[in-house]
Amino acid sequence: MSTPTYADHAWHGPVTVDENVCIARDTYRIRFACGEIARRVLPGQFIMLRLAECNDPLLGRPLAVYDVSADADGKPHYLDVVYLVVGKMTRLLAETPAGARLESWGPLGNGFPPTPAEHLVMVAGGIGQTPFLMLAREYSGQRTYGDPPRKVPPSKKITLCYGARGSEFLACVEDFRRVGVDVQLSTDDGSLGHHGLVTELIAPVVERSQWPCRLVCCGPEPMMESTARIARELDLPCQVSLESPMACGIGVCFSCVKKIRDSSGNWDYRRTCVEGPVFDAADVEF
Amino acid sequence: MPENPTSVRLDVQLGRLRLANPIMVASGTFGYAREMAGLVNLKRLGGIVPKTITQQPRAGNPPQRTVETAAGMLNSIGLDNDGVEAFIARQLPYLAALGPAVIVSIAGKSSEEFVQLAQRLQEADGIDAVELNVSCPNVSGGTDFGADPSLCERVVASVRRACSYPVLAKLTPNVTNVAEIARAAEAAGADALSLVNTCLGMAVDWRRRRPVLGNVLGGLSGPAIKPIALRIVYQVAQAVKIPLVGIGGIASIDDAMEFFVAGASAVQIGTANFYDPTATMRILDALPDALAELGARSVKEVVGTIGK
Ligand SMILES: Cc1cc2nc3c(=O)[nH]c(=O)nc-3n(C[C@H](O)[C@H](O)[C@H](O)COP(=O)(O)OP(=O)(O)OC[C@H]3O[C@@H](n4cnc5c(N)ncnc54)[C@H](O)[C@@H]3O)c2cc1C
Ligand SMILES: Cc1cc2nc3c(=O)[nH]c(=O)nc-3n(C[C@H](O)[C@H](O)[C@H](O)COP(=O)(O)O)c2cc1C
Ligand code: FES
Repeated sequence: MSTPTYADHAWHGPVTVDENVCIARDTYRIRFACGEIARRVLPGQFIMLRLAECNDPLLGRPLAVYDVSADADGKPHYLDVVYLVVGKMTRLLAETPAGARLESWGPLGNGFPPTPAEHLVMVAGGIGQTPFLMLAREYSGQRTYGDPPRKVPPSKKITLCYGARGSEFLACVEDFRRVGVDVQLSTDDGSLGHHGLVTELIAPVVERSQWPCRLVCCGPEPMMESTARIARELDLPCQVSLESPMACGIGVCFSCVKKIRDSSGNWDYRRTCVEGPVFDAADVEF
Repeated sequence: MPENPTSVRLDVQLGRLRLANPIMVASGTFGYAREMAGLVNLKRLGGIVPKTITQQPRAGNPPQRTVETAAGMLNSIGLDNDGVEAFIARQLPYLAALGPAVIVSIAGKSSEEFVQLAQRLQEADGIDAVELNVSCPNVSGGTDFGADPSLCERVVASVRRACSYPVLAKLTPNVTNVAEIARAAEAAGADALSLVNTCLGMAVDWRRRRPVLGNVLGGLSGPAIKPIALRIVYQVAQAVKIPLVGIGGIASIDDAMEFFVAGASAVQIGTANFYDPTATMRILDALPDALAELGARSVKEVVGTIGK
């Protein structure tokens, strides 16, 4: 059984939107200053974001931290979140101008463990690329995260397999390329990259690799399930970052549960916000 | 001249249970408190009601367990908990060491199960009171005790006999006449009544022609139910003499004051903990001034002072 990561080092308060720009179809990058979260966040952790003093939508929404950047003094200061407009809150968020106030709490969840990976293969579907930019920066040895900063042995190679419905939805690709990530794309409609499922890119990447591969995956549930199956077939370590809907993000409501198996193979509902969102793929009962 | 706020007394008495202040957190909305330690100064709370426990571990209902609705949410968690033994071994020592009153919420499928739970808790240290969840809409049969005056009376009376703790009965709003149930709980010796649990509701996904929640029905909570909860506190205050604990959509000092004036001696904050994790602290900060604004020197002086 995993030990829960409670919000012991989380910060909660108002934040002011610095910029909010459209970067792909229905996809935006929002930036706000929050040194408290930026200083502590680890790759794969998330924040809750809520429209300030708004009763409808009422609850915060879980969003991965996409990137942190520094202020003039070089201290972690800004948080970037990349989001896809899918419903009530994200639709309103897309209309939120610079200067508007939001409420946020975080960093939350366990994030990716600093397990060494000679060849890190990141598999992303839909908006699932968002937790991977910081991970790529960390595993490329370009950045450290956390307070105190944690150390990760640099990877020999990092690949992002990233699929979306069509090329117009692919976001952030250049950010990954700038970090030096080998980017393999797929689209459902064949408008760019491989015509088909992103999971079909995994086996060829692994087969061509000169190094032992470790998979990390984030995206729609069927895609994570299929990645977990491929990892099992190829006998590769694999972690998934679940996108379970959440109401609190801090472990008190028990809405975000997923069936997780323990060492004896029995499942129990586990809270993805405090015991995840990152789990060993082999433990998740999809 | 407003009173000096520091001279305002915040302690309240709920039958045999004394609270340092009237701001509690509601069962199922604060986990086992440990989760909130990084965000909330737990010591400041008047009371903590951890998530309801049952005799045996319960996995709870299948996801999707919650869905947001206009100014509220529906939940069908289904009393997901590890059972009374795990609670006593793993959660209670932490809760007991915090300082605020620990009010253990229990639910049973039968009167006997409530009694066995109360007896087991009697042997444990660090408990200040029990709250009987006779009103959970998420377990089949769960609301029966809270919907039938004679069943409710029997359960409350048996638990009173089975343990020496003050007993709070938490009632459901999903009945025609809450006052009648409230009187039954009072007659059975309840120290106080917690009003209310969630309002039974449902969400529909019309495109898939399916209920949204895994358990089909769920309990509505949050700002959307505040007027219902206020109405019930007001009505029950006319019907019984024992103290009331107001619950339902409370998220600000104004909400809390409305409940005090309508007849509640204390309040529990529920859903607000999810979307505004420090709401309890801000309500506590604002409480002395709000009481002083009414010229009151204690919480008691404002309870039930509503006119027509
Ligand atoms: C850890 C984590 C990290 C995430 N990171 C990102 C990110 O970086 N970028 C990003 O764009 N998104 C991310 N998400 C997903 C994001 O939280 C949701 O897209 C967002 O909450 C949608 O809010 P909304 O109000 O716009 O949509 P809503 O109006 O709430 O719903 C939109 C759609 O989701 C469905 N839905 C809503 N609630 C549930 C539920 N409880 N169960 C099943 N389906 C439901 C609805 O039916 C609807 O189709 C993340 C989720 C998690 C858990
Ligand atoms: C997710 C969730 C879980 C809950 N679990 C319990 C529970 O286990 N026991 C209980 O007595 N009440 C439970 N409740 C009801 C609350 O304690 C409270 O009575 C109700 O939500 C109304 O208050 P609110 O509007 O402030 O949330 C739960 C409510 C929610 C939203
Ligand atoms: S979102 Fe509330 S417990 Fe995980």
